[in-house]
Amino acid sequence: MTQETHERAPTGSRARVAAKVSVWSHDLVIKSATVTGFVAIFIVMQFWLSRGFFVAAPRMLNIHQNVPVLLLATAAVVGLLAGAFDLSISGTATLTAFLAVGLTAQQGLPFPLVLVIVLGVGVAAGLVNGLIVSTLNVNVIIATLGTGSIMVGISAVYSGGAVVTSASGTPLPGWFLDFGRFTTKLPLPLQLVLVAAALCWAFVALGRVRPPAALAPAWPVWRAVLVLVLGAVVYFVFDLQGWIKAISALVGLYLVVVFLIWVLMERTVHGRSMKATGANPLAARLAGVRTGKETYRAFIGTGVLASLAGIALAANQGAASPDVAGGFLLPAFAAAFLSTVIFSRGLFTVTGTAIGGIFIIWVAQGLIEAGLKFTWTGIVNGAVLIVAVSLSTLLQRRNR
Amino acid sequence: MTGSAAPALSLRGISKSFGRHAALSSIDLDITPGEFVGLLGPNGAGKSSLVKILAGVYQPTSGSILLDGEPVGSLAGHPRVGFVHQDLGLINDLSVMENLRLGAPPLVRLGPIVNRKAEQKAAEAALSTVELDIAPSTLVSELSPAEQALVAMARVFQRGARIMFVDEVTSTLPPSDARRVTDTLARSAARGASIVMVTHKLSEVLDVTQRIVLLIDGRLALDRATAGLDHAALTGLLMNHENPHSSAATQPVASHGAGEVLLELRGARRGALGPIDLRLRRGEVTGIGGLPGSGLHDLAFLVHRTTKPSHGEVRLAAGAATALVPPHRESQGGFDDHTVEENMAASALSRWRRPGGLLSVSRQRQACQETARALAVDPPDLGYRFGALSGGNKQKVIFGRAVLRRANVYVLCEPTRGVDVATRLEIYSLIRGLRDDGNAVLVLSSDSADLFTTSDRIAVIYDGVLTPARPAEDISVHELEALL
Repeated sequence: MTQETHERAPTGSRARVAAKVSVWSHDLVIKSATVTGFVAIFIVMQFWLSRGFFVAAPRMLNIHQNVPVLLLATAAVVGLLAGAFDLSISGTATLTAFLAVGLTAQQGLPFPLVLVIVLGVGVAAGLVNGLIVSTLNVNVIIATLGTGSIMVGISAVYSGGAVVTSASGTPLPGWFLDFGRFTTKLPLPLQLVLVAAALCWAFVALGRVRPPAALAPAWPVWRAVLVLVLGAVVYFVFDLQGWIKAISALVGLYLVVVFLIWVLMERTVHGRSMKATGANPLAARLAGVRTGKETYRAFIGTGVLASLAGIALAANQGAASPDVAGGFLLPAFAAAFLSTVIFSRGLFTVTGTAIGGIFIIWVAQGLIEAGLKFTWTGIVNGAVLIVAVSLSTLLQRRNR
Repeated sequence: MTGSAAPALSLRGISKSFGRHAALSSIDLDITPGEFVGLLGPNGAGKSSLVKILAGVYQPTSGSILLDGEPVGSLAGHPRVGFVHQDLGLINDLSVMENLRLGAPPLVRLGPIVNRKAEQKAAEAALSTVELDIAPSTLVSELSPAEQALVAMARVFQRGARIMFVDEVTSTLPPSDARRVTDTLARSAARGASIVMVTHKLSEVLDVTQRIVLLIDGRLALDRATAGLDHAALTGLLMNHENPHSSAATQPVASHGAGEVLLELRGARRGALGPIDLRLRRGEVTGIGGLPGSGLHDLAFLVHRTTKPSHGEVRLAAGAATALVPPHRESQGGFDDHTVEENMAASALSRWRRPGGLLSVSRQRQACQETARALAVDPPDLGYRFGALSGGNKQKVIFGRAVLRRANVYVLCEPTRGVDVATRLEIYSLIRGLRDDGNAVLVLSSDSADLFTTSDRIAVIYDGVLTPARPAEDISVHELEALL
């Protein structure tokens, strides 16, 4: 695979260059197989859908409406990276959605205090999970299945099994409901920051790819050229401006969260230690990592991200209904597992989860737009997950 | 060198490359019946790749395999050929008989009901092929390491194998057990079986094999009769090719003045281990010899404070920190899917933390690069997947991790397990370097060479009890090996 690329006995230099290029391109083909597959589906949809697929506003609306799912996917991948299969995240999201609406409407608490309480519930959920899994040594799936069910139960008891809205009590603050509307867009300076960030990311991401020998000496220059050319193509051919203008405030918040979590996992000591714990707990412990502590940290991370998902739900809908986030669990984990085959060699990644999550949403929503009943969403999500991951796994294994 | 008889197995021009990396180039080899061949080579020379091609795990890029003159695709599942790998592939919680039956045709009485009497007889017959006199109902976990290895071999012979590949099976065995296994193999060869043994232990190869095959950089560097070769000649061949600057000789170390006590065990006990009294001082290497089952590895974890003593205490001086090389690199050492760099850096991340809490990627890379170069990790690519490294290179990475930690008490358990001669010397000189920098070092090993080359004083652990440590120059090799 990607690793068996170091070079031994010198052969003819032309043969060597050819071999390098072929390995390089082969590697790239395998790593991008999943993305290529999805793009192929989208191109088919472009011709199939009456309004076309690559249209900014409806696609961005798909993302906007599913920000809670995408935040849950981020929670799932943080847990998976640290070796904690946290099934309680949808329960936490449901409970926090109820609390965000209910504490304001029914108990009349000031909204900023409500937000603090809701995030506190996320931390508390993480601490309880950490206690059960790390300190009491209970199997993680059973433990989080249990705590998740308890949190759904608490929200059912709290609401009496009914939908909680702000219609009867204190309404949710206007700025919060505005924030949840698709029509609230990012201010212009933030849009520009986003474009700059995307270009930088593309530049760095290309740096992880081994360049063909011919381009290797001046690879940074080539990368910059490549990124700018791609950017220009996207700008003029795919209406980049329209896409950026369509980004809502909520989607903007989601992108910021993804970036912060990526920094946490990839560029801090805690993130690395969490990943080591997930990869081999025994080896991590012997290497001096405090694995118990890292497990707590991971659960607190998943809890806080899940409570953010609950807040996003409340902002999106202005109300909370029983087990509102229950159906988000599968797409969230589907996105996390897709990340192992999106520009990755079988490892979970934070950015891959975001890309995978958006792709899953687009496929499902595109099919619905084409006339499929929304009741089919579960089947589509499950099938997309299994087909995508098994195809990519097959490709990678064949090359081992 | 081929004997007079027709070869039982012939390899013709076997090559294998992974991407750009040529692991094997055009290997020709003939194995005749009754021959005992030792297959040697430095880490990453292609020994494991060759065995994996024969076993059908890898497909050769080119070349052919002939069995009794007939070309075959691979030897996987062929009844006449068997493989015993380092991990043996036995299931510890099943009995010897159940392990022998796994994968063998069922001996049934009626429908799915097994014929226990026939199974018993078959098991006894299989065990007799390796001269093992144990009850087939014994659990594998109750056997000694040598007995387990012999059971794995009995399973291969039971299928009618006449050619057996033994891959690094003796590298985890204590000397007396290893000897028992190799002697049994030699007698099997005398009865007509062909044995190919992959190993790093030169003395083993010189003592029991008839022919030595040396792989270097994926090529056959030597293929000749064992008679006429000696330890010095083999070491020369192995050393010649790599690390010309590892001049550190294998002479015992000169004793330095030992400093303050950094770590102390007082009456420490845990399970069958102890009570242990031990003091580790600055600027001193303490060597502890013992067999894997004697409490040697448990003591390493106790000193590293991974496990806590049930009685007594393990006291670490204020400001001291420990680093560990664990005995089993596969299960306790590495993160297979992570890169070499991530594996090396895992213990020392806070060293590269910048004020904001972010890691300095460039400083981490530089430190790992220097360590990887010093240890000659092959391939020299920090982005390489750890799980794809050869065993000896994994050991180097994990040793590098301990060194990068900048602790002052180093607990090194089996530090040279499965590494080649050049790396072994490199590790010895690193251990001395750690001591000379004023650290306390504890070397726990079942290999007496590790102890004599590195340690200022040596103790032996036997059945969980530690003998008093004595200055290394007062102990002879024979004395130590008698104790092991």
